[in-house]
Amino acid sequence: MINNLIKKAYQWAQKKSLWVIHFNSGSCNGCDIEILDLLTPRYDVERLGIVVEASPRHADVLLVTGPVTRQAKDGLWQIYSQMPSPKWVVAVGSCSSTGGIFANSDTVLGGVDKILPVDVYIPGCPCRPEAVINGLLKLQERISINGDDRPENFAKRD
Amino acid sequence: MISGLFYLLLFPGLLFQVICSLFFEWLDRKLLARFQRRVGPPWFQPLADLIKLFSKEDLLPEGANDLVATLLPLISLSAVLTAGLYIPIAGFTPFSFEGDLIVILFLMSVPTLAYYLAGVVSVGVYSILGGSRSLLQFFSYEVPLLIALSGPAIMSGSWSVEQIMISQGSMGPFILFQPVGFVLAVVGLIGKLKRDPLDIPKAKSEVVGGPLTEFTGAKMGLWHLVMNIQAVLGIFLLTNLYLGWTKTFNPLVAVVVFIIEFLVLVVILSGASAIYARLRIDQLAGLGWRILVPLSLLQIGFVILMGI
Repeated sequence: MINNLIKKAYQWAQKKSLWVIHFNSGSCNGCDIEILDLLTPRYDVERLGIVVEASPRHADVLLVTGPVTRQAKDGLWQIYSQMPSPKWVVAVGSCSSTGGIFANSDTVLGGVDKILPVDVYIPGCPCRPEAVINGLLKLQERISINGDDRPENFAKRD
Repeated sequence: MISGLFYLLLFPGLLFQVICSLFFEWLDRKLLARFQRRVGPPWFQPLADLIKLFSKEDLLPEGANDLVATLLPLISLSAVLTAGLYIPIAGFTPFSFEGDLIVILFLMSVPTLAYYLAGVVSVGVYSILGGSRSLLQFFSYEVPLLIALSGPAIMSGSWSVEQIMISQGSMGPFILFQPVGFVLAVVGLIGKLKRDPLDIPKAKSEVVGGPLTEFTGAKMGLWHLVMNIQAVLGIFLLTNLYLGWTKTFNPLVAVVVFIIEFLVLVVILSGASAIYARLRIDQLAGLGWRILVPLSLLQIGFVILMGI
């Protein structure tokens, strides 16, 4: 009973307090600027408890923009593995969802799901700030239904 | 025995201070958001943050000393909570004794030293850089803060906060006699809390997270709690030393006046962090030793002359 209650409280807190870190894995900066918009008075995501953190150790959500280039692959993996679990990954923009217009390039591996398990895909080139907020709210819904449902020991893929 | 437990765990102790600190964090963030024309977080946000931090995995980099890194936030939390027992709240002073102001000031500077050690113990580059910055900042703000806070003590002829409040009851609030000292104390408090104009040790755009860059989970939650409780106690202390003329009032009126003074100080602190941009570390050292220290010495000289 008490364990269940604690689990519920943890789930609620994780849902209500998403601290976000932003990683650019080869984006054209379009989506990055849309993410910056979230912090402006117009879209203000702090009212949803979302705060942008600078250190991956403090973050719960990894916002990845851009296709994963060969150079950014190891860095992306390192940032992800430095985050404490439970952690979630959100692919922001067409490029990070599928590779976008760079999909068949030699230097690009494709979408973020080639490297990391992605929870929410946000399409758009660039995606509007409303779309990013909607994606983060979808993530909150997912946390409140499934809780921490990440695969344990997700292995690094080359 | 029962009353001792009550003091320790409920009223001036743990529960009251934790609730006050969560309320303070929410009010501060909300005010800052409103100053920037944002909506700001909902009221339960600090609580959600705290519970979430306690639910997360506990990681430290390879080579970091886990035992010391666990002990440091616990030591600073206990130091801050102990200081909270001696600070009068709306004139309620269960443990007052002659010299408790010195004990409070000593206990309130323990978290800063632990903060520096936390940076050194967790071996990250940014942590060590932030730790050395926090120590430099400590040397810049602590001296003017201590000199300024000795003003009320000299004026009332006692190092006990309760005695200072009683003599303010007959003379009037000390902010009327020491406005410069009050401003210096507020600046020193901002430096002590590493709040926005003086958040040099944990500047996100310069040193990522400062000494706490590598901390996660429950340790980070404890550090958050320590910082917020320190902020609340600092505000309580300034309220008592400079605006603490409520000791002789009816208790109900004293509580209302105390809450109003607390809110005014929170607005001052949030407003300062909304208005001013961050200083560089050399600018802070210059400000501290060239302007704040001479001003505080002048203030003390004025107080001593007035006493004669």
